[in-house]
Amino acid sequence: MFSPDLISEARIGCGMEIASKKRLLETLAELLAKDHPRIQAETVFERLLERERLGSTGLGHGIALPHARLKDVTQVLGAFVQTSKGVDYDAADGEPVDLAFALLVPEEANEEHLQLLAHLASLFSKAGIRSRLREAASAADLLEVLKSD
Amino acid sequence: MKIVILGAGQVGSSVAERLVSEANDITVVDLDARGLQQLQERLDLRTVTGNAALPSVLREAGLQDADLLIAVTQSDQTNLCACRTAATLFKVPTKIARLRSGDYIRHPELLDDNGFCVDFNICPEQIITDYLIKLIEFPEALQVLEFADGLVSLVAVRAVEGGPMVGHPVADLREHIPRIDARIAAIYRKDQPITPTGDTRLRPGDEVFYLAARRDIRQVLNELHGRDRPTRRIMIAGGGNIGSRLATATQDRYQVKVIEIDEDRAKALGASLNGSLVLWGDATDENLLNAENIEDMDLFLALTNDDENNIMAGLLAKSLGARRVLALINRRAYADLLQADRLDIAISPAQISIGTLLARVRRGDVAAVHSLRRGAAEALEFVVHGDMSTSKVIGRRLAALNLPDGVSVGAIVRASSQDSLGSGQARVLIAHDDLVIEPEDHVILFVARKGLVRQVERYLQVGLAYF
Repeated sequence: MFSPDLISEARIGCGMEIASKKRLLETLAELLAKDHPRIQAETVFERLLERERLGSTGLGHGIALPHARLKDVTQVLGAFVQTSKGVDYDAADGEPVDLAFALLVPEEANEEHLQLLAHLASLFSKAGIRSRLREAASAADLLEVLKSD
Repeated sequence: MKIVILGAGQVGSSVAERLVSEANDITVVDLDARGLQQLQERLDLRTVTGNAALPSVLREAGLQDADLLIAVTQSDQTNLCACRTAATLFKVPTKIARLRSGDYIRHPELLDDNGFCVDFNICPEQIITDYLIKLIEFPEALQVLEFADGLVSLVAVRAVEGGPMVGHPVADLREHIPRIDARIAAIYRKDQPITPTGDTRLRPGDEVFYLAARRDIRQVLNELHGRDRPTRRIMIAGGGNIGSRLATATQDRYQVKVIEIDEDRAKALGASLNGSLVLWGDATDENLLNAENIEDMDLFLALTNDDENNIMAGLLAKSLGARRVLALINRRAYADLLQADRLDIAISPAQISIGTLLARVRRGDVAAVHSLRRGAAEALEFVVHGDMSTSKVIGRRLAALNLPDGVSVGAIVRASSQDSLGSGQARVLIAHDDLVIEPEDHVILFVARKGLVRQVERYLQVGLAYF
């Protein structure tokens, strides 16, 4: 389902010690900007924060899907973090978040991006997937689960 | 939200108290360990003793995890230094600094991201002064608050016998003043909120909150309260930060007398306030008040930094015949004791200046917040984003909104294109059932019970699919 470029092991963080929503978004921004020639982690962090301020992307069940548009990206970019402890994310169900998939899309967002978001939301709505992601012990394991569906 | 507050003085501790009650995670930093201990005994928060300008102290306060920094120490320099440090070392998303000196504010280029990284600056003394100026201008009102860069006002007024609308149902307002559009957002009767409908009859003694375009607030006041004699003579007790700001701002339009107890301060004020009469003396001295014709004063304002002095001076001025008396009272218990009849208006300084900070704590794109009725109610200005599918309100008629009882939309401010409101092109639309909300509208809501704010935030936020 995922295009091969969407996410890679390099943009996955496993068992990270993160204590706040702010640090979680900062970490995702760093992963997204890593190895990318044109984008800066700080800009990505700001855009994720701005979007988050308009409404939390916490889905419930400990999952968050932070996302933003950025004019310097030409194709959708994803990053994933599994934290060792859940962080307060102001999610719909009030549960702390320990699994977060961040998406960066080009400025001209289209139907494709909405479908990707919907696909991710439905993937994470499966209790089996969530527990496999929580059990995963390495970035490689996490990538395998993410691509398994 | 994780919030770090620098400074446990009057501003810092009242902010901490208010934000703690809203389930935020608060850390307070101050040099004074004893003050912090007292705060911690009273409130569920973390404290750090140390110099708030030092990176190590800020790290200990957990700035690396903070969503918001509120730097409100007594020192402008400490506040500025902390904001810059918070940005460079800890990437704190939002930084607010208290700046008392106008010097820095006159150089916005110092405050931006290349300078001290202050996202918002507040000066509580100026906020309070502006609030008082409104009350001098509209003596009939209990409160006059602004939204949308001043395009819309929220006014609180006590309905009195003889006001043309009093005794009439709310729906008659349009007939009474056909060319004026206003919306009665809430009515408090014997301190209980009632949700007004078109049939609700206004009674004498009702505390009425209404929204109107700034140019229209006078006519509506006349309908509810009748017209008082305009303010001409003002006496200010206390020539401190607020008193001197207020005298400076009003001395050209009113006859202003300032009473200051400190001789040196009184002399300095006398030299700088050219249009005011500055008196060296004690505002609780009845001989002085009588000698200065207290009975001719349209308004007496007790603005010293001491609650007891303000109360005593205010009560004395009232009994000696000042027409209207207003006092700053920090301690809530005192304000409660003095309800209604003794002093005309008791103002809690913390209460007035908290709105600017609450706007940064509220979820969603909130442009302004005013805390009302000592924190029990709130009025908010939300900017709405998205479309029919990503927003629950955009594209809907106001009548079709699913707002909880106790929450009402009072007005919408709509910019003509993508311009900001300040461009002069924005239109004020007073709420009615068929008004349809558009993207980027500024929606102004009255929330009668603070507990409903969370629900309102959720309702106006964008959905997950918003990019």
